[in-house]
Amino acid sequence: MNDRYYVSRHVQQRRSKIIVSVILLAGSIILLMPLWWMISTSLKSMDEIMQYPPTFYPHEVHWENYIEAWHTAPFTRYTLNTLLICAFSVAGSVLSNSFVGYGFAKIHFRGRETFMSVVLATMIIPGFVTLIPQYVLFSKLGWVNTYLPLIIPPFFGSAFFIFMFRQFYMTIPNELVEAAKIDGANHFYIWFWLMLPMVKPVLATVAIFSFNGAWNDLIGPLLYLNDEMKYTLQIGLQNFRGLVQTQWHYLMAASTLVLLPVLTIFFVFQRYFIEGMNLTAGMKG
Amino acid sequence: MNRKTSSIRQREEIQGYIFILPWLIGFVVFVLGPLLFSLYGSFTNYNVTSRMDFIGFDNYKRMFTGDPLFWTSLYNTFYYVIFMVPLTTAGSILMAVLLNQRVSGTRVYRTIYYMPSVLSGVAVYMLWMQILSPETGLLNTLLRLIGVEGPAWLFDPAWTKPAIIIMKMWSVGGGMLLYLASMQGIPTQLYESADLDGANAWHKFRYITLPMITPVIFFDLVTSLIGGFQIFQEGYVMSQSGDGGPMNSLLFYNLHMWNKAFEVFDMGYAMAMAWILFVIVMILTALNLKYSKNWVYYEGGDNR
Amino acid sequence: MKRFGRPLAILLVLLLSLSMVLAGCSNSEQSEQPAPPADQGQDDGEQAAADTPKEKVKLDFWSFWGSVTRRPIIEKMISDFNGSQDSIEVKYTFVPWGDIWTKNLAAIAAGNPPDAIINDINTVAHRANQKQNTNLTPYLAKESENIQDRFFPQLWEAVLFNGEAYGLPFNTDTRLLFWNKEHFAEVGLDPESPPQSWAELEEYAKKLDKVENGKYTRIGFYPLWGVGADIWMLNSDGKNFIDEDGNVYVNTPEKIQALEWIVNWRNRLGDKTVNAFQAEFGSQQADPFISGKVSMMVQNMNFYTQLRDYGKDVKYGVTLVPEREEGTGHWSWGGGFAVEIPYGAKHPEESYQFIKYLTDVDAQSYWAKWGLDMVANKNAANDPELQSIDVYKVAVEAMDKTLITPTPVFAPDFIGLLNPQIDAAVLGKASVQDALKKAQSDIENLVKSNKK
Repeated sequence: MNDRYYVSRHVQQRRSKIIVSVILLAGSIILLMPLWWMISTSLKSMDEIMQYPPTFYPHEVHWENYIEAWHTAPFTRYTLNTLLICAFSVAGSVLSNSFVGYGFAKIHFRGRETFMSVVLATMIIPGFVTLIPQYVLFSKLGWVNTYLPLIIPPFFGSAFFIFMFRQFYMTIPNELVEAAKIDGANHFYIWFWLMLPMVKPVLATVAIFSFNGAWNDLIGPLLYLNDEMKYTLQIGLQNFRGLVQTQWHYLMAASTLVLLPVLTIFFVFQRYFIEGMNLTAGMKG
Repeated sequence: MNRKTSSIRQREEIQGYIFILPWLIGFVVFVLGPLLFSLYGSFTNYNVTSRMDFIGFDNYKRMFTGDPLFWTSLYNTFYYVIFMVPLTTAGSILMAVLLNQRVSGTRVYRTIYYMPSVLSGVAVYMLWMQILSPETGLLNTLLRLIGVEGPAWLFDPAWTKPAIIIMKMWSVGGGMLLYLASMQGIPTQLYESADLDGANAWHKFRYITLPMITPVIFFDLVTSLIGGFQIFQEGYVMSQSGDGGPMNSLLFYNLHMWNKAFEVFDMGYAMAMAWILFVIVMILTALNLKYSKNWVYYEGGDNR
Repeated sequence: MKRFGRPLAILLVLLLSLSMVLAGCSNSEQSEQPAPPADQGQDDGEQAAADTPKEKVKLDFWSFWGSVTRRPIIEKMISDFNGSQDSIEVKYTFVPWGDIWTKNLAAIAAGNPPDAIINDINTVAHRANQKQNTNLTPYLAKESENIQDRFFPQLWEAVLFNGEAYGLPFNTDTRLLFWNKEHFAEVGLDPESPPQSWAELEEYAKKLDKVENGKYTRIGFYPLWGVGADIWMLNSDGKNFIDEDGNVYVNTPEKIQALEWIVNWRNRLGDKTVNAFQAEFGSQQADPFISGKVSMMVQNMNFYTQLRDYGKDVKYGVTLVPEREEGTGHWSWGGGFAVEIPYGAKHPEESYQFIKYLTDVDAQSYWAKWGLDMVANKNAANDPELQSIDVYKVAVEAMDKTLITPTPVFAPDFIGLLNPQIDAAVLGKASVQDALKKAQSDIENLVKSNKK
């Protein structure tokens, strides 16, 4: 009887796995369409793009679009600039927010709830009413035309990520913290040696989010950088947009190249999802 | 004894403040000033470059009595938020559950499913204009297969907002990632013992997965509510000329605010609009927080 | 923890090495361009100009021209200017379209604006009203030549605020009717005589429509492709919606007639046909006129460059936009850009020299010849070489009756009240009379509340 039970479960599991695979595959095809459209446009000639009805795949493949697009503006330089901003942004976001979020989730202090409300409140005010005063502020600090307005603020936390870390820390049992405290550990120790390893999936998520945020940010760099050599990729992409005619083939070629690192980073970082699982489970067991 | 506990408490307090210090410094240095400035600005006729005279509640009065577009934009934004928030939340949970299965190629699937949320810019909007095209677009072609004649989407004022919501549904990859991360924290033993009890997939989802991810659901609800009220880009780009779409059906609150601030240079008025939005969203968030105690389960919470 | 540390360490190493490389670069750049405090710089300039010619005044010039077609032209113009004298050095910075205005505004607010910028000609007065740009009167007064005579008169009008100039017109455009000669011949119309009035336009369009199996496969003409309903309303009587004194002309017999004409057109073709065609070509890629799906279209004059590049097989003609009735005038509409000095710029005298150069006949002819753009300078536009291009010739002719619609100071955002009403009428959700009546009163209220 026990045997039959397991066998039928096994079959059932396999069946559900197949169903899930089919759904995922069908979904992927829909989701990959824009990518296909981007890549196929990037390989067409402008003449073909202007054709009606539009062609589904390039009838004549123009690899040189990629090279020409890349040389329209100093894109290599822009890539380095963007990477620099991203690196600081990721490091700052991961460090500061995991730290601050811990304070809000696991330490009792007076005014904690009030401060947390203030954190949430800063998220609610639409960014562009503070855009001008903030620019004036950074200008007074002498930070305009430097990367500082883009790379320093991440080290002071962002409301979204603080809230996110807080929520995840809250799912971790308090007994763990208490036990460590009895062993004489202070909160810094607990945060770094106990908590961080347990929230690895969250660290990976924040790393991914903040990387993408910095990578795709247009208005920040645009506002604060005055020197074209300091520009970022997203500003560079704007070169292809004309008032009269957009150069779709170049725009799509460059957009594809700009998208690749983002997907690579995601592909690499997601292994921490799997790792986090085992560790947490082990701790709790 | 008493002194000892109080000194422990004190040490705890100090550590707490040290932990939030980075945020506090950032808040005071970078955020507080501009925030207070915009609060004061909302009571003036501030135009950024040459005027900032105190005019009392004039901006607020004008908003409620003399600006028909204020109400249009508020309606559009509420419409969007009411549908978008629950739909994207459900969508990303569903996606996360699927991607949390141990099937081959998960890493590739995860990357693919996450991709739409990083794709940005014109490529996406151009693509959606094609998908939503009434005659030959993919969506209406699919609907025709099941015998439904689809609407004209972006050309019909009644369907522009649903079109934007569908678009948003497509890029729930960010939310999916959060749920996926939180599902990794659920001890596998829970599922194993449920298996032994003969629980089916739905039961496991309903009684193990769902309760364990409520803190993240709560986070997602709060942040997408806040984000939803700030919708701007979509209305701007999809309405082609950036003027709010057919019959202003895509004139969202922030788009109207942007126009007032950067087209009309009536920055004082825009700041007043921002603070009204702030009050609305703050009330909704507070309600959210209040009722969350009934359904959000914190393993490490304070049980208060 | 160890396995977590590794990527973090790699990240940090990457970060450090990158910042070192870039710090090196940006330092060297910074030392190239020291930004001296304003007054000190000027003093230096005056003293130094006499003995060392190297001390030049450096000007920052911003525009949104960054594409491979526009950028080389503007850069050549600048390097010509830099080479023509030895006291001013202009540096060009590309700032993307749209965001350039936000950046400019923030920079003005911080007291740190560029020295010259290309901005929308329609909002020069509106910005002057907020003190965002520099009054050019003192510099114009010193000139022996009358600078305003350079420009098409309506463009000069557009840069005035309280009768004083706050920018110099740079370029403009106008709408023209493009027609497909082959289609005309095919249906028995004279390929050389395009429609002159709305009635003719409709008559020809009906002949040019092609229907197969109850579905339109070709449309002769649809007024709202290429331009908006507001342009037809302007075309009907040649009057702007709001005049300088704040009088509103929305609910007028001519404008009602224009909108009714459009609504009839839409009713004749049907919503479905119109939407389907519009959606196919909404992506700004394939073009309905080039692909032969539409036989006549009112388009911006520089549609010509697209025809030249992607429509080599299309045999087309260009003419003025048809008039409502004979004698009402072939009114067209144009936009354009002006070059201005943001308020608070550090070297207005030198900036003025530069923008004066940009609008002078040499620079303007160069821009016109390479960009095939309608320039603000009349003499440059009438250059014989340009006149030999058919489209350009017709466009210059059209300039006589091309309206510029400067943003009214009293109601800068009136269009947000007008457009939804026009949409409602076109979509059949309201009658034309009701819609325009509502728009008229909404806009009058806006003007009233702003005039207070």
